[in-house]
Amino acid sequence: MIESAAAAPSSTSAAPRTTWTSYLARRRRALYISSPIGLGHAQRDVSIADELRKLHPDLEIDWLAQNPVTTVLESRGERIHPLSAELASESAFWANEATEHDLNAFQGLRRMDEILVANFMVFLDVLEAGEYDLVIGDESWDVDHFLHENPELKNTAFAWLTDFVGMLPMPSGGEHEAFLTADYNAEMIEHVERFPRIRDRAIFVGDPDDIVPDDFGPGLPSIRDWTERHYDFSGYITGFDPRPLIDRREGLREELGYRPDERVVIVTVGGSGVGESLLRRVIAAYPEAARRVNGLRMVAVAGPRIDPESLGAEPGVEVRAYVPELYKHLAACDLAVVQGGLTTTMELAAARRPFLYFPLRNHFEQSRHVRHRLERYGAGRFMDYDASPPEVIAAAIAEEIDRPVAYRPVESDGAARAAALIAPLV
Amino acid sequence: MRSGAGPMATVRAPERPGPAAAHDAMSAHHATSAHDGNRVDTTRARQPDETGFIERDGVRVFWERYGDGSPTLLLMPTWSLLHSRHWKLQIPYLARLFRVVTFDGRGNGRSDRPTESDAYADTEFVADAIAVLEATGTDRAVVAGLSMGAGYSLRLAAEHPDRVIGAVFIGASLPILDRPADEPEVQVDPSFAGPQSATGEWRNYNADYWRRDFPGFAAWFVGEKIFSEPHSTKPIEDGIGWTLQTDAETLIATEYAPYLWPPAEWGPREPGQGRAVPFARHVRCPALVIHGDDDRISSIAVGERLAAELGAPLITIAGGGHSPLARWPVVVNRAIRDFVRGLEPTS
Repeated sequence: MIESAAAAPSSTSAAPRTTWTSYLARRRRALYISSPIGLGHAQRDVSIADELRKLHPDLEIDWLAQNPVTTVLESRGERIHPLSAELASESAFWANEATEHDLNAFQGLRRMDEILVANFMVFLDVLEAGEYDLVIGDESWDVDHFLHENPELKNTAFAWLTDFVGMLPMPSGGEHEAFLTADYNAEMIEHVERFPRIRDRAIFVGDPDDIVPDDFGPGLPSIRDWTERHYDFSGYITGFDPRPLIDRREGLREELGYRPDERVVIVTVGGSGVGESLLRRVIAAYPEAARRVNGLRMVAVAGPRIDPESLGAEPGVEVRAYVPELYKHLAACDLAVVQGGLTTTMELAAARRPFLYFPLRNHFEQSRHVRHRLERYGAGRFMDYDASPPEVIAAAIAEEIDRPVAYRPVESDGAARAAALIAPLV
Repeated sequence: MRSGAGPMATVRAPERPGPAAAHDAMSAHHATSAHDGNRVDTTRARQPDETGFIERDGVRVFWERYGDGSPTLLLMPTWSLLHSRHWKLQIPYLARLFRVVTFDGRGNGRSDRPTESDAYADTEFVADAIAVLEATGTDRAVVAGLSMGAGYSLRLAAEHPDRVIGAVFIGASLPILDRPADEPEVQVDPSFAGPQSATGEWRNYNADYWRRDFPGFAAWFVGEKIFSEPHSTKPIEDGIGWTLQTDAETLIATEYAPYLWPPAEWGPREPGQGRAVPFARHVRCPALVIHGDDDRISSIAVGERLAAELGAPLITIAGGGHSPLARWPVVVNRAIRDFVRGLEPTS
């Protein structure tokens, strides 16, 4: 119950009381900002946090995060800073930006300027009390950008993580988008080179070979050269250890109700509504795919925003609204069909399953950065949504489902490496 | 309006490459976020808690209120070139701490666009502000204004001391600098109405050109004059998009509207004294002036003089252009917060 004003003890002195904490009494504290822009970051962030706690058992971590990341954090009993509730919604913004299998991520990031400023101001309020020794920002674009714009406001150590560097133009954006991406990249380079003191650690979630071979723009450095000079590398961070799943795949299939003679295809398009058209198209490919592949069983996951009834599934296709522990199904399946997001595709690469991936149209990160990384791992088959009517998808399913997997193994020590890079800051 | 901005002697050659502005003009339609009020605009960090219209002499003016804190901040309209979204990087933050009221100035946004010049007099904007305060149940407010909005705020503070508990003037564009005593005082520069000249820094500030190529004017004025800083593509797109929500005839009408002519009862001015000086000297509330030293529309000298006349602190944004609101939002937000917190509490 909230104490009413009338019930409050009448104070003899209204003068405010404050406490300043000397280092003798100061606890080791970090603020972890897990960005919902890349929706798959929650898992890797909690695994980094776990590794950090091994190195600093007394470290207290508060999280500044919003839905859906907070769902993951709350289920683990993580402590979410109360001002998280003041953050403007980034996921609602992105859901509204997307149209049929289309999301211009670069223009979206620009159009999100009001939200980014508002959320940076929330961050400053969190920081103002001076309680934190360290801020960890996983693609916290607002914090990184505006700390460079206002360097005098930095009052903690700052560790910055990202899995891609460089805005890249999409062909549909023409010369204008190329001009804009170069301008954004140039500003970022100026920021970082002018204020090396802002990022006490910059961590690329991956290896140098994962970096695209492009330049930042006309007259600007090579992205790889520049990133190698300004970042440390943690290797990829899956957020889970794939080996037990790989080792007991047969048992997993039985557990999940998949028979040994079935060839299981899982179709999943993430939690937003943007995947509906891809889902429909893959479902339409089922009859032809089933003709080519004996025992084909297709499970299509609609997610919370798509009505399973509305999809008009072909006979033989199971449409499910929600599948608990989807990652187990992905590890157990014979083939997966997914969008081009980094987290899901790399989960499949780590679990060593064949998959088709369809980057969203005009999404530079999925179309360029993620694709480049997957090709380095030799993982999955890139599919162009516009060039893939159902019969093309059916043929690709038939070709890929039996292809022996020869992916480059996905490292499993990324979280520990990232934590080891961050730990000396606190 | 540049005519109120004082001498242009401090204008420097643009350092920004020309093609950028053209690019931005071409893509301006991308930038215009929903301002139709009928659907939720997810680019907004915060939705208004209450909206409405006031109507004066048949002109409807749209307002928004955010938050329930104290005191109230009245974020004033500026020149009808822009509408109230020019405060978009301030509203979500200030509304968490205080109560924020803003409105689309007549001539843009969801407010009406009267055709006669007199409807755009500073006195009309001030009367709109008072009507919005009434409509939102606001006795007193801290006012803040950008560019010409600083002029409207100045008049409001000078003439309605009972309503204004503090005033923030950002990139103030107003006639406060001295001019030669024998130079006639004009509202509109003759070069505005005649044929467009072939050369000159301000040749695009011309009614004929606005009628011929309004998007070209928008790209030039927003892209080269307001935002002198590099890496300003997004605020430029926003500004052009908002400009294209009004039209040449409306802006030409505003150009001939009276702006900061002191009331006769204040007596004669000294020869050559800027018209805004008596207004500044009538202001009794605490004030703050924020001005970029690379402002290519209203030079830093205007901000310095305004601060001196008000006896107010001046925050210079070194390297900053005409709209610190959009380009340096964090420092502006914090300066406004500190200013408001430093005011005497009002009951």
